[in-house]
Amino acid sequence: MSLEVLNTQIFTLVQDKGRFSYGAIGVTSSGVMDEYAYLILNKLLDNPKDTNVLEISFSNNSFKVDKNTMIAITGAYCEFSINDIALSTWQTYKVKVGDVLKIGKITNGTKVYLGVKDGFDIKKEFGSNSTTLKENLGGLDGDKLKKGDLLKYREFLDEGIANKRLQSRYLPKYDDKLTLRVILSYQDDFFKQEEQDKFFSNTYTITNEFNRMGCKLKGEAIKCDRDGIISEGIAFGAIQIPQDGQPIILLKERQTIGGYPKIGSVLSIDCFKLSQCKVNTKINFVEVSLEEGQEKIREFYGSLL
Amino acid sequence: MRFKIASVDSLIIYFGDEISADVSSKVKQAYKSIQSLDIDGLIEIIPSYSSIFITYDIFTYDYNSLKEKLQNSIDFTKDTVEDEKIITIDVYYGVDVGFDLQYMSEKKSLSIEKIIKLHSQKYYDVYAIGFLPAFAYLASVDEKIAMSRLSTPRKIIPKGSVAIADTQTAVYPQDSPGGWNIIGRTVMELFDKNLKILSPLAIGYKVKFNAISKEQYIKQGGKI
Repeated sequence: MSLEVLNTQIFTLVQDKGRFSYGAIGVTSSGVMDEYAYLILNKLLDNPKDTNVLEISFSNNSFKVDKNTMIAITGAYCEFSINDIALSTWQTYKVKVGDVLKIGKITNGTKVYLGVKDGFDIKKEFGSNSTTLKENLGGLDGDKLKKGDLLKYREFLDEGIANKRLQSRYLPKYDDKLTLRVILSYQDDFFKQEEQDKFFSNTYTITNEFNRMGCKLKGEAIKCDRDGIISEGIAFGAIQIPQDGQPIILLKERQTIGGYPKIGSVLSIDCFKLSQCKVNTKINFVEVSLEEGQEKIREFYGSLL
Repeated sequence: MRFKIASVDSLIIYFGDEISADVSSKVKQAYKSIQSLDIDGLIEIIPSYSSIFITYDIFTYDYNSLKEKLQNSIDFTKDTVEDEKIITIDVYYGVDVGFDLQYMSEKKSLSIEKIIKLHSQKYYDVYAIGFLPAFAYLASVDEKIAMSRLSTPRKIIPKGSVAIADTQTAVYPQDSPGGWNIIGRTVMELFDKNLKILSPLAIGYKVKFNAISKEQYIKQGGKI
């Protein structure tokens, strides 16, 4: 018994924290784009922190419940209903056999997360359920979800965590502008001071070349003293500057190695916010020290785990 | 060894500024050394031509403490030659699967037989793996058969294609767009979910190509 996919759009993917330690043979880490929404979801359900969820990127999805459980829905704001009764998100709900869950229009943000108590029963592949389509790994047979798919899970009857809701002061806002904190790193020495100043003082715009691999921006071109570098490992959040001078921020499904110079790296916790942005969102960069960045990351995970 | 910050939770170690056998062997030694140390809190280790990239748990280390630990423990003195694995890849070199063999032969004034001989007689080092899962950059081919990339990349290069770009050679683990010169094809699975580490290749291994006939290739399950 399971959650049956009645209707879904492309790129509804099973995801978890990601697949690690296979980078040396070119396997990307993958994983949820927005760890904030993901960790809150699992916290609301009292799940282990790396429990799998569905990452939904397009409007109009419906699922039928074939076994009693508790669900939670977080991430992008959307029209959400159970049996056509409109409900708010960032909350847990008790669901029973026959219930129909609908995620209609996504109204603010871009990634909705839907999870069940203790996650879906799917065999992990190389340590993770994260789906990476180009590697045919994770999810159900390495594929995106499609109509008719059945996601199995164990029955859960306890009502103790029903209607648990994230306090409103912790609810994220998905704005049409975002400031990303950057640690200068990698090839920062190959960018003259004036180029670095340009990078930190101009506003960039998110283009439609934005997917699970990365986010290409457009704006004032940044010049690098070198055209390319010897291919090397790429961090989550690394900012590549190709020859056209337009920054690319590398995200969860990035290539493991690459030969473009990098001016620095965006804090991971800011990449989670970036992942909820729409095309044309305005982006600014601000420099932070490594020490300050690490402090922010420790605060983030310290409060969520 | 030169250490540099990569991101809030990662660093990169450089072992030189060039692509060479010497630098690659330093990377290999350091990579093996780090693996054998079995250090807690290292999340991802990605070696490449001249560097090793490491993601770490910032609840275990900050940049300086990990840098110091690695500086003090990476051992370059161990001989890595004895445990070097050699992977042999059977290749059918023929113009029907090696789309650029004929052109290379004309351009380099070498017979196709000579190109095959030069390509299959050497032992190659795995310098880096990336671009696609299990796409291994092997070096170096004989200068006589070094070929720059195609000016217009092909939309689809078939899985198993054996290719040359400059002084490097590689096997495409899956159908993919690409600009390398194609000289043959293998049936060997380079990205295989049934293998414990997903691929028969890894950094530090050596690769040898073995020329087989069309009949043998077809018998192995090869398609034209």
